[in-house]
This record gives sequence, structure tokens and C-alpha cells, in this order.
Amino acid sequence: MAVFGFVVNPIAGMGGRVGLKGTDGVLDEAIELGAEPVAPHRVHLFLEKLGLLIESRRIGERIEWLTCAGIMGEDDLDTSEIDSMTYEVVHTPAEPTAAEDTKKACKKFLEKGVTLIVFCGGDGTARDIWQTVGENIPIIGIPSGVKMHSGVFGMNPEATAEIVAAFLSGELDIAEGEILDLDEEKYREGEWHIRLFGTARTPYEPTYVQVSKVQVEAVGEDAIKEEIAESIVEDMEDDPDTLFILGSGSTVGAVSKELGIEFSLLGVDAVVNKKLVAKDVNESKLLELLNERKKVKLVISPIGAQGFILGRGNLQLSPEVIKRIGIDNITIISPPAKLAQTPLLRVDTGDRELDEMFHEKQYLRVVFRYKTMKLVKIGK
Amino acid sequence: MRDPSGFMRTEYEDLVEKGFDWKLRVLEGPSAPRCKVDGKDVIMLCSNNYLNLSNHPRLKEAAKRAIDTHGAGSGSVRPIAGNLDLHIEAEKAVARFKGTESALIYQTGFAANAGLIPQLAGKGDIIISDQLNHGSIIDGVRLTKADRAIFAHRDMGELEKVLADADKKYEKILVVTDGVFSMDGDIQHMGEIQKLADEVGAMTFVDDAHGEGVIGPDGRGIGAHFGIAGKIDVEMGTFSKAYGVVGGLVAGSQDLVNYGLNKSRTWLLSGSHPPAVAAAQLEAIKVLEEEPEHVKNLWDNTKYFKNELISMGYNCGNSETPITPVIVGESHKAKALSDRTFELGVFALPIVFPMVARDAARIRTMMNAGLTREDLDEALGAFEKAGKELEII
Repeated sequence: MAVFGFVVNPIAGMGGRVGLKGTDGVLDEAIELGAEPVAPHRVHLFLEKLGLLIESRRIGERIEWLTCAGIMGEDDLDTSEIDSMTYEVVHTPAEPTAAEDTKKACKKFLEKGVTLIVFCGGDGTARDIWQTVGENIPIIGIPSGVKMHSGVFGMNPEATAEIVAAFLSGELDIAEGEILDLDEEKYREGEWHIRLFGTARTPYEPTYVQVSKVQVEAVGEDAIKEEIAESIVEDMEDDPDTLFILGSGSTVGAVSKELGIEFSLLGVDAVVNKKLVAKDVNESKLLELLNERKKVKLVISPIGAQGFILGRGNLQLSPEVIKRIGIDNITIISPPAKLAQTPLLRVDTGDRELDEMFHEKQYLRVVFRYKTMKLVKIGK
Repeated sequence: MRDPSGFMRTEYEDLVEKGFDWKLRVLEGPSAPRCKVDGKDVIMLCSNNYLNLSNHPRLKEAAKRAIDTHGAGSGSVRPIAGNLDLHIEAEKAVARFKGTESALIYQTGFAANAGLIPQLAGKGDIIISDQLNHGSIIDGVRLTKADRAIFAHRDMGELEKVLADADKKYEKILVVTDGVFSMDGDIQHMGEIQKLADEVGAMTFVDDAHGEGVIGPDGRGIGAHFGIAGKIDVEMGTFSKAYGVVGGLVAGSQDLVNYGLNKSRTWLLSGSHPPAVAAAQLEAIKVLEEEPEHVKNLWDNTKYFKNELISMGYNCGNSETPITPVIVGESHKAKALSDRTFELGVFALPIVFPMVARDAARIRTMMNAGLTREDLDEALGAFEKAGKELEII
């Protein structure tokens, strides 16, 4: 029997329909504006699809859900009619429910050793869970929030059910998914920025390679990242004078690991001739470095679930920095599993003219295996 | 103290536990339309012996004769002392049949891909592949220092974009693809690929393993099928499928052959085919040139079988060739259908996730020219009975 955690943020997504950028702290305002709960319907769609998949795939494994009382999970599980599932309430939230309740429930999940946490919410909920469980338990979200930039959501509730069903059958790999959310400090100053907070673990479809005529072998996410990193390191060996600017996130981090140098998961590092020349640099330091070097390459990866390569979690890479580097000197890297989740690449540099220059390209090259690339559409 | 070879057992046991190990079935007697597999009499629907040439009296006779005239083995690699007159004759026959200037026979199809592809592109070049290319092509590509790009399966719009992108940055460009794709039985748009490649001066390489002896007039393969025989830079193929023997081949210009034999390490370093193999290869080509009925029977059988399956309510996908997938959905259904049809005397293997998408598990059938209408009706009866029992149709 599989023991999974299940937590619903009952107010997630309520701000969206009434034009707010989130629901945290502004619930009263949202309700005044006429917002209604969206989570129950999303959870219903998820559970319905999961039930169908368990039946049609004849998945023998049963699920024991550990959840919260009332509207934070129990109500939804109680109305679902799937025979192979049972649930147990491990936390009773206070009235009204709050982020603290999500965290308390997650502490229980940690204690009880669940192997997966399924949640319904948005970036805020993902961040609350990640702050408690870190990289100890894989998490997967039923998208229901206003903001869903983090790489831990299914594309829709049915897709989340597909992921949970495949996880239950033991077919999935576990890889890193970025946790992104609104930068509250900046928000209080009147700016709206999405910041990268860290990486959680999340189930991924592994990459398969053919081993014989009718057999394939799964290649783990880490092995794929290593392969991609090898390609980048070979590029560095070919161009020893070139300044390599390495963006944030774990995919690009694998390049630094391959080089055996320190790196900043959440920041931007600079490398020349395979040696770290500056760690976690800001915009002005980057501009300074760009003044010193003629040849430059920027290595970035889509961050989070929506395919953003610029404008989410890497604000150091300002419009001026990008213009100085030049779009043609950008190398985008991504494991295939992540590309499958983000069929479009997006940019939001804060400079419309620059964004337009990306859009004019229509397609960008993405390295997704050792020295292997494909063209991926760039969307708005 | 380290255990020098313990990993073999542990890894093997791991495969067994996951059910990923190969359970080898034993064919008692020849690979024939009706044969004996693990002691059971079955109708064979999963061999590559499309034209049943492996049992053709002329091929068997030619092989026996060659043993009498040339012995059992060739004695060496071809570049040193193992280059027999029979090898040369077989190569001339291939070039004649395929309408190319020249041809070179490799020890296997895998040896052709793994040996030649790495010699066609290197650093500063790019190899562009269809995303569903066969594993032997992928291995050949892996051995190069070239950059690689892929295009979505049979998506010519995407190939055009990839070519335009590559045109600016690389010296040599090689487009490599399967001709007939072995999971779905669909055919690559080779005419269009050749046109797009010509526009930017890219080289073309097609692995026609499942197309040779099958598509094109008299089974002359994909070049003839699209009316571009001799234009494709490398038409690679195999003698192990429709031709009914074993061995790989490439057909193209004399330059290709001169270069290929001097550069391909698989060709240079493997012993050459025994006389019986070379003579049977030569005879297979002659049979195809002189007896068009085999290819016609294959297609007649394919059309009949496919139409009957579809009218029963089965989904046969986008197949355009004698590879007919019977798509049933979830993996357990495909396995159950395969088990049940085997009990009913039909041998065809299930192909399940992750080889194909989770909802596209299937039994892959491969037609044979030697099956009679009665054989086909018996096989169809098994599919109908099993499909109804399992509520697939």
C-alpha cells in the first residue's frame, strides 16, 4: 500500500478571477470582489481521473491518503468513490485555515513517512510545503492557484492524476522542480517579480533510450543533466577565452558540478577557461565582466513549469545584460522531461523591444541530450 | 576484496525482477510462415522474413553450391585475404537492383550504421535525425564528435527549420532517417527530405531495413519508391529481413563505396561473410528480379489481413506497410491479447509502454508472402476470438 499526503489550500486561486495577483492576505478583498472557491472542483477532476486510471490500468497498489480535516482534504476524499483508496485525518486545521495548517500537516507527513505529497494550490502553497519538507519528499500539485510558475504542477488536474497513477505503478523517476513565487519584498516596494526560492523533488517521466528492438531503458534525470553538462564543458574547452555566464537552477548547476566548481543554485555565476571567476553576481558585476571580455556565452535553462528562460528567477540577467550578450550567444539547456512539460519557451525580460527580438526568432535551439538539440517554439 | 564479476549476476537478477530480461523463444526448424516455437505449431507473424526467401529453394541451393565451390568460411577480413568473387558479385547485384552506381556489403546492418555514420560527420558538422530513428542509427551518431539535432517524427516543416538553422553554422550537414519505421509501419517522406536537403547541400542517409524487398517497384526500396533511386547519398539496408539471409549494405555512388570501405572500422575489422551467405545474398537479388510474385503476394496478404482486422473493429494505426500494429490501448490488454492469440496458434509479440505511449500498447504483426489465404483466415479467427473474449472488439 502506498501512503501519500494530501493537502488542499481551500482559498487557492480565488484571487485570480477577480484580478488579484494571489490570494494570500487578501482573501477578504477577493470575497468582496465576488470570488468563489475553485479548489474543490479541481480536486474533484483530479480524483475522478485518478479513479479511472487505477481501474483501466489495473493498478493493484492501494492508496492510503493522510490528510487534513474538512475543506483541506477530508471533504474531497470523503465524496470520492474509489474503492482502492482510504484516508486518515492527521491534522485538524484552525478556523479559518491558514498557511500554518499546510505546514503542520506536512510535518505530520514527514513523521509518518509518506512517499509523495499531492497538493491543490498555487505557488504559495508549493512554497509552504517545500519550506517544511524540502527535498525529503517528492511533491506534485493539482494546479489551482493564481500563480503557478513552480515546476511541481501537472498541466491540469487530469495530468496530475496521470502523474500520480504512473508514480503509483513505479514508472516515474524523481527529479528537481523549481519553487518559484512572488518576491514579497520587491512586491511591497511596488514591483512584481517572481523569485526562485529553491528546488523541491517531484515525479518525472524518465527519458527512455532504445536498448534493443523492442526494449528501452530509462535514463535518470541526473544522468541526462550530466550528459548535457559534458556538452557545455566541451564548448568551454573549445573556447578557453570565452566568458561563460551560468544561469540559475539545477540543470545549469550540473555544468558547475561537472567542472568541480562551486555554484549558486539561485544565482548567476561566471566561468572562464573552466574556472569560476565570480560567484552569485548581480547585474552591475555582470556588466563589468562583459566590459572585460569580448567573447561571451550565456547558459540558461527553463525555470519552473511555464518554460520561462528569462524573467523568472534570474533577474540579474537584465535587458541590458542580455542585449550585451546577444541572443545568438545564448545556449538553452533542458532535460527532455522538462521540455515535455513546457512545449513553449517564454521570455519576460521587462523590456518589450527585447522580448520582441526573441519572438521574432520563432524558435530557439535547446540542448536536451549530449550535443543534441531541437528547435523549440518561443511563445508569448 | 572486490568481486570481479558479481555485477553480472546482480544486474541480471534486477532485470529479471523487473521483467525486463529477454526470455528467448526457441524456433525448432526453419523460420517459415508456419513453424514450431517452443514446441508449439504457430503461424509466424513477427519475423522479418517478409518474402519467405529464407526458405526459397534457389537460395538454399545457391548456399549449398557455394560451400562445395568455396568452402565453409572466408578465411579473413575483406581488406586482407577474405574478399571473394561472390562478395563482389553480390555487391554488383545490389547496385543493379537498387539503381545506384555502386554498393558495399557490411557484415550486418548494425555494422553498416555503427561503422559508416561516424565517418560521415565530425567536429563542426551536424547530424539531423528523425526523433524515432532506430537504435543502431543512434549508436552510430553517438560515435561521432558532430553536433546533433532532431526533428519531430516525419515533420517536414520542422526539418526545414532545423536545416535552415544548421545551414548558417555547420560545414557538413547529414540528414539521417529510417525509411520505414518499425513500430508503426509508416514511411518517411523521403522525396521531400531529399528536396529539402538538396536546397542546402545536405547529405542524406536512409536506413531502409524494413523497406527493401517490400516497397518500391519489385521491392527495390525507398529510393525507387519515391522515384529518386541513385539520388539519396546513402541507401543503407540489410539482407536479414526481406532478402532472407543476413548482412548489411549501403548503396550509392562509387565515391561512397571507396570511402566507406577504407574508413568503416566495423567493415575493416570483421571477418567477411562465409561463401554460403554471399551466394544466398546474390541469389536473393536474382529471385527478386526474376520472380515478382513474392512482393505481390506480400502486399496482397497485407491488404487482406489489414482490412479484415479493421472490419473486425481493430485499430491498425497509420501503417502503410506490411508492419501492421494492432493497437489495443493499455499494456495489460496487449499482453493478454498476445498470450491468448499464442494459445490459439499465432505468434506475434506485444509492444507496450515505454516502447510506445501508455495508451497505445499493441501487438505488432509482420506479414509474410508465404502465408496462404487459409493461414490468414486462421490467424484472423484467432484475433477475432481473442479480441471478443477480452472485450477489445
